[in-house]
Amino acid sequence: MRRLLSILMLLALAFPAWSAELRYMLRVDGLACPYCAYGIEKKIKALDGVDKTSVEIKLNDGLVIFQADTPEPMTEASLKTLINDAGFTLRQFQAQPLKPKNE
Amino acid sequence: MKNIAQYAFLPVLTILFLGAETAAAHDPVFGLGPHTLFKGGVEIHAGGHREKSGDESETEAELQFKYGLTGDWVAGIGIPYVRSGDGDDNRGSTNLSTKYRFWRHDSFGVQESMAVLGKVILDDGEGLHGVEPDGNDYLVGLTYGYEGRKWYRWASVRHRFNADATTGAERPNVWLVDLVGGIRFSPTEYHEPDWVWMLELNGELIERVSQGTGSAEKQLGGNQWFLSPGLMWTYRNFAIKAGVQLPLFYDLSKDQEKGDYRALVELEWHL
Repeated sequence: MRRLLSILMLLALAFPAWSAELRYMLRVDGLACPYCAYGIEKKIKALDGVDKTSVEIKLNDGLVIFQADTPEPMTEASLKTLINDAGFTLRQFQAQPLKPKNE
Repeated sequence: MKNIAQYAFLPVLTILFLGAETAAAHDPVFGLGPHTLFKGGVEIHAGGHREKSGDESETEAELQFKYGLTGDWVAGIGIPYVRSGDGDDNRGSTNLSTKYRFWRHDSFGVQESMAVLGKVILDDGEGLHGVEPDGNDYLVGLTYGYEGRKWYRWASVRHRFNADATTGAERPNVWLVDLVGGIRFSPTEYHEPDWVWMLELNGELIERVSQGTGSAEKQLGGNQWFLSPGLMWTYRNFAIKAGVQLPLFYDLSKDQEKGDYRALVELEWHL
């Protein structure tokens, strides 16, 4: 029993936590002017776990990039709704891990 | 009570700008565009308008608040204050407006959309030049807009239904037609100050009406077209818009003077 508990503890330490910092890259259509894109910045910064200093809007590339540390990864559906509420269309979605939380 | 016909040289001043839809965001300065506000967003809008016609002039300031109900639907309230050249100061009529963007097509760096506008100009103002509406005025509009990283173009049509004056004098209805082109010479990035230059063709088709009889008969209404250069300067969530309407063509009923110019400056914040 003691050995089993030790193994479980080692496994728990060996695996990264579910919570991980992700870099989200959104391809957003309709990004024509900086003034109109402010709604995207505001809505993303209002999300829990978002690193507010990481929010970047690249108008000439049609990209919105940010980093977030959330218990569950953000879904494409939720970000599609967010972008639509800001008045634009989410065309592509990409989330890449930056580093595990327990490193 | 003065009769509206005594101010026949000011038909457009008193009919159009009290409660005319002020432009929003990256919309034309004088025309109507399909822009709305992001969901949950608040817009604070302060505008100043000046118009000169012969020896007469008029200045109007308006404060507007708008709220984004959805990403495509906005509602707002505007409270104008009007000062005429003869020292007649009045609080203008409160206006309630809503705009719904019913079609939107987004592609890389481009947004095309169409919207409808509805507006009620309440009968709660103090009147101007002794002309007090005997009821609410209504404005409806339809607009199309193309916005790209470089080129802009808009088209819109609006119709204003004016209530008669309390004196019984008819206040003519108005059609407004706008064609606008715009250009951003430099494709600025998000955190850079952004300039868009515009040229508008604004048409005002005012219903022709007659008042009085015999030698006292006055006629109002007619058509006029303006060429209007303007610009938008924005920085993140703050915008300044300015433009001048210059007379291009007039076909007004007799007894009316054409306007010399109209100027508009607007400040806008998105919060």
